[in-house]
Amino acid sequence: MGILAEFSGPESLKAVAAELRQAGYARFEAYSPYPVHGLYEATGRRRTLLPWLVMLGGTAGCLAAILLQWWTNAVDYPYIISGKPPFSLPANVPIAFELLILFGALAAFGGVMVLCNLPEPYHPLFGCAEFRRASADAFFLSIDAADPLFDLKGTADLLRALGAASAEPYSRPQTERRVPGYVKATIALLLAAALAPPAYIAQVRFSRKSSPRLHLVLDMDFQPKYLPQQHSPLFADGRAMRPPVAGTIAAGAAIDDAHLLRGETGGQPAELFPMPVTMELMERGRREYDIFCATCHGLTGDGDGATSQVVVLEREEPKWIRPLSLHLPTVRSQPAGQLYQTIADGVRTMPSYASQIPVEDRWAIILYIRALQRSREGTLNDVPEELRKQLESIHDDATSYDDQN
Amino acid sequence: MSTIHLDDNMTQLPARRARLVLGKADCAAVTETVCAIVEQKRTPPAWYAAFAVSLAATGMFFASIGYLIFTGIGVLGNNNPAFWAWPIVNFVFWIGIGHAGTLISAILFLFRQRWRTGINRFAEAMTIFAVACAGVFPAVHVGRIWLVYWLAPYPNQMDLWPNFRSPLLWDVVAISTYGTVSLLFWYLGMIPDLATLRDRAKSWWRRSLYGLFALGWRGSAGQWHRFEWAYLLLAALATPLVLSVHSVVSFDFAVSQLPGWHSTILPPYFVAGAIFSGCAMVVTLAVPARGLFGLKSLITMRHLDNMNKLILATSMMVGYSYAIEIFIAWYGGNPYEAFAQLNRALGPYAWAYWLMIACNVLVPQLFWFRKCRVNIWLMWIIAVLVNVGMWMERFVIIAASLARDFLPSSWGMYKPTAVDVMMLVGSFGLFFTLFLLFCRFLPMVAMAEVKTVLPRDEREKSD
Amino acid sequence: MMQHHTTIKIEDDRTHLAASNFPAVAASIAVGMILLIVAGAIGRPAGQGDSYTLLAASYLVSYLFFLSISLGALFFVVLQHLVRAGWSTAVRRLAEILAANLVWWGILFLPILVPVLLGKSDLYAWSIPGAAAADELLRHKGPYLNPAFFAARAVFYFVVWGLSAWFFLKWSTRQDESGDPAVTERLEKTAPAAMILFGLTVTFAAFDWLMSLTPEWFSTIFGLYFFAGSVVAALAAMILFAAALQAGGTARRVITIEHYHDLGKLLLGFVVFWGYMAFSQYMLIWYANIPEETVWYLERQTGPWTWITAGLLFGHLLIPFLGLLSRTVKRSRVLLSFWAVWMLAMHWIDLYWLVMPTFAPDRLPLGIMNWLCLSGVGCLFLAGVLWNARRRSLVPLGDPRLNESLAFENF
Repeated sequence: MGILAEFSGPESLKAVAAELRQAGYARFEAYSPYPVHGLYEATGRRRTLLPWLVMLGGTAGCLAAILLQWWTNAVDYPYIISGKPPFSLPANVPIAFELLILFGALAAFGGVMVLCNLPEPYHPLFGCAEFRRASADAFFLSIDAADPLFDLKGTADLLRALGAASAEPYSRPQTERRVPGYVKATIALLLAAALAPPAYIAQVRFSRKSSPRLHLVLDMDFQPKYLPQQHSPLFADGRAMRPPVAGTIAAGAAIDDAHLLRGETGGQPAELFPMPVTMELMERGRREYDIFCATCHGLTGDGDGATSQVVVLEREEPKWIRPLSLHLPTVRSQPAGQLYQTIADGVRTMPSYASQIPVEDRWAIILYIRALQRSREGTLNDVPEELRKQLESIHDDATSYDDQN
Repeated sequence: MSTIHLDDNMTQLPARRARLVLGKADCAAVTETVCAIVEQKRTPPAWYAAFAVSLAATGMFFASIGYLIFTGIGVLGNNNPAFWAWPIVNFVFWIGIGHAGTLISAILFLFRQRWRTGINRFAEAMTIFAVACAGVFPAVHVGRIWLVYWLAPYPNQMDLWPNFRSPLLWDVVAISTYGTVSLLFWYLGMIPDLATLRDRAKSWWRRSLYGLFALGWRGSAGQWHRFEWAYLLLAALATPLVLSVHSVVSFDFAVSQLPGWHSTILPPYFVAGAIFSGCAMVVTLAVPARGLFGLKSLITMRHLDNMNKLILATSMMVGYSYAIEIFIAWYGGNPYEAFAQLNRALGPYAWAYWLMIACNVLVPQLFWFRKCRVNIWLMWIIAVLVNVGMWMERFVIIAASLARDFLPSSWGMYKPTAVDVMMLVGSFGLFFTLFLLFCRFLPMVAMAEVKTVLPRDEREKSD
Repeated sequence: MMQHHTTIKIEDDRTHLAASNFPAVAASIAVGMILLIVAGAIGRPAGQGDSYTLLAASYLVSYLFFLSISLGALFFVVLQHLVRAGWSTAVRRLAEILAANLVWWGILFLPILVPVLLGKSDLYAWSIPGAAAADELLRHKGPYLNPAFFAARAVFYFVVWGLSAWFFLKWSTRQDESGDPAVTERLEKTAPAAMILFGLTVTFAAFDWLMSLTPEWFSTIFGLYFFAGSVVAALAAMILFAAALQAGGTARRVITIEHYHDLGKLLLGFVVFWGYMAFSQYMLIWYANIPEETVWYLERQTGPWTWITAGLLFGHLLIPFLGLLSRTVKRSRVLLSFWAVWMLAMHWIDLYWLVMPTFAPDRLPLGIMNWLCLSGVGCLFLAGVLWNARRRSLVPLGDPRLNESLAFENF
């Protein structure tokens, strides 16, 4: 309810607004088809808070983005990918910037809607036919009846005196519509229903279950193929896993080197080594011998390794067959290839060491064994100069000890 | 001092700004010109014809996407080594086109370029539709599109989070933000014009529909004050947004270690290129639209002249970037980088490269000449060629670089399939369908903004 | 935006400097030369082997600081003509005067150029004879990075800049008397070519004088990065120039608060643009982590230089961004001048950060040398500005768009 007056243009509108403000009117509004500068100030109202809202929104967006990225990638499930640290600020800047803009824009849009009180479809002025031209090319001013200075005739006269082309009263249409109850109920129901998926996810996330997880999209997760250890009716032995075909050799291994792989030359056990004999090979042989062979054959090759000592001393097994001493004439006379075949295939109670000792290491061990065997029949002159003195001093210590005791 | 004609605003007088609206320049005339398009009872047959074609192309678009999803990525031409090909080229192409709309709306607004009011509404609409087209491509090229929700950070049974350090995630956030902010900006600006349509509507359903979206706008001084502030703030936000979005898209390439991709100038180079292609698309759309819809008094030759100058300016920036990349490729001494540049010019895709140079750098030079800037047919052809050139640029950057990267044993040629082509053509169909719907049902020109730039003496005749 | 009728009449306002400032000019030149000579005396090698290098580096920083102000001002002038701007007419003469120093600034480049030509440069390792022979990469760059071509390019840059600056100032001044609109059209027609030449010369000057300090390193965006910093510095200098003039009683009413507001907006925009350039360069190099590129940033992220890098992030970008956002700040001469001084300081730190780490990787050489060079070159710059400001209106009186500039109002 109030009075609607039409004016000819923005300048007169501004002047009238200023006049009304001077006269003490508070509840009046000026309408124009486009923004008129100075009009809002003429109505005497405060500047809008919108810039602050946008600043708040932007800051919130930036902080939310950084928090999100920090918590998800650096705290909850941290991992390093392509060398970037879990919390990498340079990599987080783009998203922080974008969310700053997004939240700021939402604040601007939401802010202007709220501050303008939009959507507002049922303003009384929409009942006025003339007011329809306000959005096209006409300038209006309305004074609300609730204004303390409002007087139906007096205010209309004042407006006409100030230059209004017309000043007619307007009123609220008779029917008033409220939002129906069932609409409100439906919206409430939908909101409650919308909470269901997050609730389900929360329940699933934080509880233990014995059944497998929800598998909505199967993709190629269940494929018609055999997995390891499964039974297969296709083969007689029922195994889906098949052993390698006879004659299979490891990738990269030499196929035809009988000397290297089987210790044979011309069908007979080889006498010679298939690779150059170096100090390095010897050292390697010593290392490998100490690891694999010394447990049974002893560090010096006498067959008095730890297993024998355990069996003989602790368990007192009378039927225990001691490992061979490597210095026996029967062993000394064996060619290198036969020693190789012993390691690779095993002999009597000694199992095959093929799975533990690679091919070259086997030859290295054999080289060391030859050194051990040689050491039993060697003389001091066989020892290199620099080590002779050491041996002599050890010998002197040992004999002097014996002499004393 | 020469006289100024009411039908022509091309005369340059330094002391006086040119008219931005020709003919009868008062509020009623502006309202009538724009609303008449929306309110006409009989849709022009030309519109129906264009709509039929674009709708058919849209159908082809969705059909090929459906085929792609049901059959698999193999129907596209993506292969080893060109894992990124036409889908990503199209994505970058469409996002780039969208940028000019925001430039015109937001950046030219901040620079107080009043001539933007004639074209900003449909440039913004162009942005929205371009972003919609662009967003489809990364979504469908992933392969398992039904899992694309994994890109969002929601708490899940696998305890996994997306890797926010990846530029692909930055893309997701940037494109969503860009789409949202552009939509908000476009819609906010349209509210007063929707109110105008609501107030002029004769039928109840028109009044209700426009009224629904006009949200009850009355045009009071208070509402205008807050509206102007919101518009200014959104413009101030959209300006860095438009720079950042295409920079984020450029990061997809620039953060890699590939020669030809890893170059620090890529962000501003891509942004300049985006604005370049977008301005060309605006001209491509504006030239027929102003003729078909009778908007020559609002989208004047001056507007087109200014757009063409923008096209020329951004063409120079793009040319500068090409030159600097070539120079530094030599200067840096990295043989792979140098090879990448040489390969572009002389390798198997040299035809695409030289087409790109011709369309992006050489052809726009015609706009130095005023005669070319104001010739309707020539400017339309140049604008189309610019868009061809910019599409070629993305193709050269993506497919040609991938086809010839570090190891010669990894080299391979890329060939698009029929599905690739159908998707590209179809995306144009989607774009034009949406645009034609916009032209028919929504106010094409920002009436309220144009009214603020009318010559004062004619706007306020009786004041 | 509607335009309001203006009541500002130019005749009411003083647009020339009050008195002849020839004594001031002479004094500036004298003081500047003395300061530089003292710097040179301290900088001679005396025990500390690298103090000459630090002198050269300090001189380079100070020289480029003032050069970038002039370059940014030239960009401003050319841009305003290119886009036919109206608001800036009242302040454009200030930029023209700041840019006019480019006419003779090449002379001050000699202390940098001559050592390069003599093969004794402390700054440019590639220019030492024999350096290229030892390093394959330098050999590769030889056709570009050699003293002769370097000198030729420098001459070219200064010719282009000097001619542009002189052209725009001369014709604008001529228009003061004649008021001929044809001058404006002529300047508008020249602007595009001037802008293209500007873009290319500034880019390659940045490559030559800053990027080649670390000859193995390269970055395609480097020219734009230097350009962004220059525009920030020029806008800050313009604000201070206007504030100083108005404090002295000149152009008190012609340059309105609206002009400060717009300069403030541009300053904010270019601060953000500088941040964008800096971040693009940093993030891309950080992300790809290729050693031949990261070496440059590693120098600036080890030891005490880390603080300067962090300082630039906060001081050159984040803090001034927040400070310049406010409309109130931009519409206050005092507050805006504060931020202008801040930005100039930050720009100097930016150049210091670009140049010094190559020569002092483990410490921050901040001492008397820097102040002497800065104030010495600064006095000479001031002398140039005062010289060009004398006997010339500080507002383009004859410009047809001056009325528009006086009348416009910000939102």
